[in-house]
Amino acid sequence: MFKKNLGKWLISWPPTVYLLIFFAVPALIMVGASLRFPGDYGGLLPLSHVDEATGRTIIDVTRDNWRDFFTLENYTRLGSDAVYLQLFVKSFGYAALTTLICLVMAYPLAWLIARSDQKIRDLLVLLVILPFWSNFLVRVYAWMIILGPNSAFTKAINLLLGLVGIAPQTFMFSPFAVIVCLVYVHLPFMVLPLYANLEKHDLSLLDAAQDLGANAWQRFWRVTWPLSLPGVYAGAALVFIPALGIFAVPDLLGGTDGIMIGNLIKQQFLESRDWPFGSVLSIVLTVSAIGLAGLAALIGRASTRGGDE
Amino acid sequence: MKKLLLSLAMLSGTSAMAADELHLYNWNNYIAPETVKQFESECKCKLVQDYYGSMEEMLAKLAAGAKGYDLLVPTGFALEPLLKQGKLAGLDKARLPNLKNISRQYLDTAFDKGNQYSVPYAFTTTIIGYNDARLKEAGVSVDGWATVFDPKVLQKIKGKVTVLDDPREVFVAALKYLGYPANSTDEAQWKAAQQVILQAKPYWAAFNSQSYIKELTVGNIWVAHGYSNDFFQANQDTKAAKRPFSIVPAIPKEGASLSLDSMVVLKNAPRPDLAYKFVNFMLEGKNSAVLTNMTGSGNPNSDALKYVKPELTKMSTVFPSAAQSSKLEMLKDQDAKTRRLMNRMWTEIKVK
Repeated sequence: MFKKNLGKWLISWPPTVYLLIFFAVPALIMVGASLRFPGDYGGLLPLSHVDEATGRTIIDVTRDNWRDFFTLENYTRLGSDAVYLQLFVKSFGYAALTTLICLVMAYPLAWLIARSDQKIRDLLVLLVILPFWSNFLVRVYAWMIILGPNSAFTKAINLLLGLVGIAPQTFMFSPFAVIVCLVYVHLPFMVLPLYANLEKHDLSLLDAAQDLGANAWQRFWRVTWPLSLPGVYAGAALVFIPALGIFAVPDLLGGTDGIMIGNLIKQQFLESRDWPFGSVLSIVLTVSAIGLAGLAALIGRASTRGGDE
Repeated sequence: MKKLLLSLAMLSGTSAMAADELHLYNWNNYIAPETVKQFESECKCKLVQDYYGSMEEMLAKLAAGAKGYDLLVPTGFALEPLLKQGKLAGLDKARLPNLKNISRQYLDTAFDKGNQYSVPYAFTTTIIGYNDARLKEAGVSVDGWATVFDPKVLQKIKGKVTVLDDPREVFVAALKYLGYPANSTDEAQWKAAQQVILQAKPYWAAFNSQSYIKELTVGNIWVAHGYSNDFFQANQDTKAAKRPFSIVPAIPKEGASLSLDSMVVLKNAPRPDLAYKFVNFMLEGKNSAVLTNMTGSGNPNSDALKYVKPELTKMSTVFPSAAQSSKLEMLKDQDAKTRRLMNRMWTEIKVK
């Protein structure tokens, strides 16, 4: 028994230790930081100082003055102003919209790839992954050029909009630009799990459905779609969670009101030098993302169980 | 035995070589390559450079115990933490005869009274840069911060303006627009500045510190709040691309913030002698002028005037007039209370 487990342990300890060190420990540090005060030059207000004369470290916190070093104020600040809640809601909205658009666009594509000839299938998958070969920021900068007011794309669109009399529109520095780029950046993360799922479907099920009189829509909605749900959930999680925390895209393409929660967190750590409040925001974001993923898993489990019955 | 002698000789050779090196820790792109060559041939030593992108980065690296640097070129407000931490060596001015070249207005600053530790290198101003052709078409003339903050002006150029993504610089611009001091600690004045920013924000395209040079150069953005050196760069790029407009830097009439970068010698510098040579070398007008010709940096050296390219000598960002100088303020490090106030108000601005 022990010997059998030993092999498992030997294989699984590196990722376990890795996760423990690089996820759990920083998360705990963040919780600690969220209860403290910001330091003068960034960082946190120190709890100790080095005595110059003796070179010894002296702890400044005592039983009487600990309130000067530890506080819940960073959490109450979050609830004190509705703007923070609004920003969370807005970021969840952006991420949800991105996920939805990605799903609608990726599903037919993944289906097409899964049903295409074996020979070109690998090539198509390669083409989906191809953008990853260039740097993320380079691709965002490309969108800045495409959506800029002097680009051929913008001019062409405005020519069309001019016919309906609503030109000229600007696309750069707008929520539209942010969503377009978020969809672009995350699309492959939706295509790949969907493809992996759709590829494994047993096509004889569709033939059986057809024999039993199901039309094309019924075959999709009652056979393919329920079977593809695990792929949909995986893709949705892979898109939604990174999109929720992203800051580079809104930074570069968003306008003055285009920021998301990720920008606010980044701002606390870099420009504002307020690590404690940044930690609070990060914790709330992490907890809500985990909560949402748990909720999705629950719904997923419930629906597959429903399908079994 | 021969081998041993040889290796000993080589050892002493390398250590002698290492000893004739000056280690400069400087901003990115803040010294001309020909200046480096010139200095190396004059001092018969090697100039080894390392670079930082922000004061925070430099302070963090030194705080973490980085050693071996002789010279730094920090911006004014960073002198305070450096001095507090006891990192800087007092300067022996008898060894810096060229210090006489520096204009008096850049000496004896609040950061270092009497220049006991620091000597001016170059400066930038945080000002307005604009596209002359487009603004003429729009009927907007730039003379003050109203171009960036007054809704009446902004409605003519809506969506064509960016401001820096930097709370301190944006607030200082708004404070100056209102006629308040840049280093104000009065909460009411900061609140008023916040109102000005909130009223102007709907007309701005973005908070942008990263790509406004490019946006100006291609003509997407017509007015930017940014650094004088960047506008110089944008105009050079515009010229190179032969675009039908220029990017013009303008110091607003209400004044602006000035960042003075100074040379300081570290207390634990391995080669203070070479450091002195370098400081004195850079204080020579013609060497200081090379930097200005390359980057459009503000020049505190009165002896540099005759070496600076003629088209640059007229630029107020390089040599501000006396009237302009009197309204340029250097930013001090903020006290904790004002900084927290500013950060909160900035977050509100960003979220609203």
